[in-house]
Amino acid sequence: MVATTTVRDSRVPGAPSPTTHDRLVVYRTTIGQAMKPPRFQYRDPDTLADAVALKARHGSDALILAGGQSLMPMLNMRLAAPSVVIDINGVTDLQQITRNGDVVEIGAGVRQSALETDPLIREALPLLARAVPHIGHIENRHRGTVGGSLAHADASAELPCTAVVSDAVVVLQGQNGRREVPASSFFDGFMTNACADDELVVAVRYPVTPAGAGTAFVEVARRNGDFALAAAGVIAEVDGDGRFTRLAVGVAGVASVPLRATDVEQELLGRPVDPATIEAAAKRVEAAVTTGDDIHATSAYRKHLAATVVSRAVLAAATDARNGGNR
Amino acid sequence: MTTTQEPTVNAPAKPTAGYKYIGTDRKRVEDPRLLVGRGNYIADMKVQGLLHAAILRSPVPHARIDSIDTSEALKIPGVVAVLTGEDCKAHMNPCMNFGPPTIAQYPIAVDKVRYVGEAVAVVVAESRYIAEDGVDVLDVEFSDLPLVTDPKAALEPGAAPLHEEHGSNLAYERTFEFGDIAAAMADADLVVSDTLHWGRSAGMPMETSGAIARPGNNGVLEVYCNSLNFSYLQFLVAGALKIPSNKLKMQPVAAGGSFGSKFTAHKVPTLTAFLALRTGRPVSYVEDRLDHLMNSDHHASDRYYEARMGFTKDGMITGLDIDVLDDYGAYLQFGTGTHGNALSQLTGPYRFRNARYALRAALTNKCQQGAYRGFGSEVHNWVLERLVDQAATKLGLAPEDIRRRNFILPEEFPYKIPGGNLYDSGNYPAVLDKALGMIDIEHWRKEKARLREEEGRHIGIGIATTQERSVFSSTEFWFWFDEPAFPITSSPESATITIDPAGAFQLQLHCQAMWGNSPETVATTVLAEEFGVEPETVNVSYADTSRALPGTGPGGSRFTVMVAGAVRGASRKLKKKLIDIAAHSLEVSADDLELVDGQVQVVGAPERSLGIPELAGSAYFFALNLPPGMESGLEESHTYDHPYTTLPAADRSDLGVFYPIMGHACHIAVLEVDPDTGQTSFLDYVAVHDAGTVVNPKSLGGHVTGGAAQGLGSTLYEELVYDAEGQFKSSTFLDYLVPTANEVPPFRIGHVETPSPYTEFGIKGGGEGGRMVTPSVVSSAIDDALAEYGMHVQQLPVKPADIVATVQNARAGQ
Repeated sequence: MVATTTVRDSRVPGAPSPTTHDRLVVYRTTIGQAMKPPRFQYRDPDTLADAVALKARHGSDALILAGGQSLMPMLNMRLAAPSVVIDINGVTDLQQITRNGDVVEIGAGVRQSALETDPLIREALPLLARAVPHIGHIENRHRGTVGGSLAHADASAELPCTAVVSDAVVVLQGQNGRREVPASSFFDGFMTNACADDELVVAVRYPVTPAGAGTAFVEVARRNGDFALAAAGVIAEVDGDGRFTRLAVGVAGVASVPLRATDVEQELLGRPVDPATIEAAAKRVEAAVTTGDDIHATSAYRKHLAATVVSRAVLAAATDARNGGNR
Repeated sequence: MTTTQEPTVNAPAKPTAGYKYIGTDRKRVEDPRLLVGRGNYIADMKVQGLLHAAILRSPVPHARIDSIDTSEALKIPGVVAVLTGEDCKAHMNPCMNFGPPTIAQYPIAVDKVRYVGEAVAVVVAESRYIAEDGVDVLDVEFSDLPLVTDPKAALEPGAAPLHEEHGSNLAYERTFEFGDIAAAMADADLVVSDTLHWGRSAGMPMETSGAIARPGNNGVLEVYCNSLNFSYLQFLVAGALKIPSNKLKMQPVAAGGSFGSKFTAHKVPTLTAFLALRTGRPVSYVEDRLDHLMNSDHHASDRYYEARMGFTKDGMITGLDIDVLDDYGAYLQFGTGTHGNALSQLTGPYRFRNARYALRAALTNKCQQGAYRGFGSEVHNWVLERLVDQAATKLGLAPEDIRRRNFILPEEFPYKIPGGNLYDSGNYPAVLDKALGMIDIEHWRKEKARLREEEGRHIGIGIATTQERSVFSSTEFWFWFDEPAFPITSSPESATITIDPAGAFQLQLHCQAMWGNSPETVATTVLAEEFGVEPETVNVSYADTSRALPGTGPGGSRFTVMVAGAVRGASRKLKKKLIDIAAHSLEVSADDLELVDGQVQVVGAPERSLGIPELAGSAYFFALNLPPGMESGLEESHTYDHPYTTLPAADRSDLGVFYPIMGHACHIAVLEVDPDTGQTSFLDYVAVHDAGTVVNPKSLGGHVTGGAAQGLGSTLYEELVYDAEGQFKSSTFLDYLVPTANEVPPFRIGHVETPSPYTEFGIKGGGEGGRMVTPSVVSSAIDDALAEYGMHVQQLPVKPADIVATVQNARAGQ
């Protein structure tokens, strides 16, 4: 099984080979002056089983390299110093998008950019298609993966927010098999998640958005592509009388985890789609904002921003629903 | 009014009509190699046996260094040496310094650290990886000292001094008064005042500062670096290294960008040279982004103002009264030169005679200031325009009207301002009229009202008219003190033109000139104009210090003017030689010959001619064909000194002429502000500049665009933040926000050309102008958009949170 695993030493050309694996490839960098992560062992399994076995063996000493959009800067700044980096880019099993009835399963290795263009996603999960363009820049999305973003568990990130709004389920795999964790409990603290040290995030399952539902994603960042100061993702259904019959509101960037604005949802359910009503209800989200002052935003500003993006996203989703949503 | 209005009748006739190359859009001659990735930057250099350095940076803002344990680092295979401030103390002199000698600086902290990020120890190893491993295991014991982060508190009695030898944290204090400011304010019908803060930002090139130093032949230390005006100041680096100046050879390496940040950035090459001297091996030190942001000595102005301006009821300015406190950080490498830039255009484009400028420079536990596009003049522009805007509002005058009333008029030049600097020429009404016409101001004023009324949107229109000083003279470094330590008066530029035996042109420049600007385009364009050969056929090289003639390099928007003077001077000498050879060969008087399109011909009889290759052949290989006494070869050099500079008066009542080549600009911005998110977006933006005769509209347009983008960064996004504990909060691009193509609007650029009477071809410098206007115009537009909420920008950068706070406070009070 490990015969296909490549061992590379990240640092020293010609370094003594680790003995636990069968094949040694010395990593010869041509840009050695520019890169400066601490020393680590590099594994690039071809199969999920190998990846899981490696993660089980090394536990918290190993970090998973997927798109590398967060891990590589952390390594180069030496904010992370794993003894082993497991590169799962060769695990093609993780790169599928499949629909099974009312559920779309997105493999952890699917690139974020695929969600912008995939016809299945645009039809079945329109919120994702709207949210993904806010992730970094196109270069980041070509490389960054769905599983990577979920596992990184940044509360200001877009995909975790969509998962919480959509009641998605994160699929984890360890040596004892798979388990499924609802997004609402997967994100369990500041940049932490429910994935155990011997597990990998392998997929996320989103329920298909009902026909006629409207969606919207509104984000405010300092610059295009920056982390959200506040963002809201909304799925709304509206009846023939123009009243909310279903409403899911997620908020990113305002607390240690992505939130559901349940107070706002409850207040608006059954009420008519009316800008003033929505604006008033959206203010209830301010109480949930716990992120303090930082150099980009004061707490007071972030509270106002949270209410603003929620208000605008709810109105936009309702308008989208009245226009037939994605159908 | 239409959007296509051309220069009004007041504008001068286009003066470039007689030139073949100057004044036309030309592609940059630098671009082909840069666009295919062959820029050959410092990190691209391959040197046999090269060692690499990594630096342990201080995690604390103010502390005594009690001990540094290097033993674990030295045990790592591949670690060659660890150097600390003790090595500097033992083997170096302090670094070059234009500030007080009591504020000494070494490239590695000696005895104490004075800011987060200051170098504490350097590990030199076989690779950067190993060097970083070595840094990770250094063990340093610090004893914390009281910290000083607020510049006002730094000057209070009892504040902990950063430099005990200096005695206090007051690095400099002086009040300059010109005219009678008390009378000017007393006589004014309206005195506006403001409390303003311009926050720290910096030029942020993609490529950081770096150097490679290599022990070479004959005991000569060779230093390759992308910073420093080395042919001007190389001997100061040699002095710091305690080696004879002829044993230090500095070779310029093209930089990807500088924007001022690499101007005289001496610490990186000085440190790298020191490492090579101590290890006896070639060493590379290239800053990473954290190094660069924390410690590259390129943080720019950080100023607190109390400013007042007097006006008559008709809007005529009576006087300007400035109290400014500048937070210079832990050292003072350039002295207070950034305020000399403010004094060079103290009154802006306006005609008034009374001004007071009180400056205090404070030392705090932050990285020291360096150079950034504008070098402090942009800050003064912003203060002036803030005050003029405020007066316009209070007097009920349109922003363009109050400015027009106060403009110095075209017939008044040359105009000596209070303080002594001279404005050479200008046509400020023409620039304003062109900008107003390009943007169609009346259309936008109607549209602003309509969008507010019909769609609830908040549109703001900003107008700023500011000066754009160029071609600094080094006299500005010494009027600060009655007994200046460094009273130099020269800031020349040189060029050497060689025509080889086949008639091809070599042009050698004598300074570190390639900083992401267009030095070769400019220099070859001037050469082309002189000889009638295509600019692209000229090969350009840069002399190292063992060969270099005097050269000051880019800085203070001087290079285009100065290199044009140098190239033209060398061209004149070389043309004379060509004509003398031709006269001898053709047996005609030299007076009857002219050089046209690459050949020397008889005036009125162009069929009697000799081409440059034929003349070159004679010059190199046929001495017997040359006029008697003429030396063989075809090479001439010229050193061009500053075209117009004078000494300050002994009592400093007049600072002398030190920045006389005065450009001017008017920017008008139309932007929309979202009052609930604080986000801004541009609907239109015009930038009209007068930089005298335009050498290349394309490259000058690039300067305006890039400068304006950086001005936008300083206004809305970029901030180098230290918190109250002295911790640096902007050490990555996650937190230091450089605007991208998404944030920068397409600036529509116009040129007005008022030639300088003092420079070759009438050129003025235009390298910094964009950044010298944008902060003023964007601040003005934001105020205008949110006037109903009482918005008044007093601090840069103005952040979305500031805007929303103002709006929310106003709403709460309604």
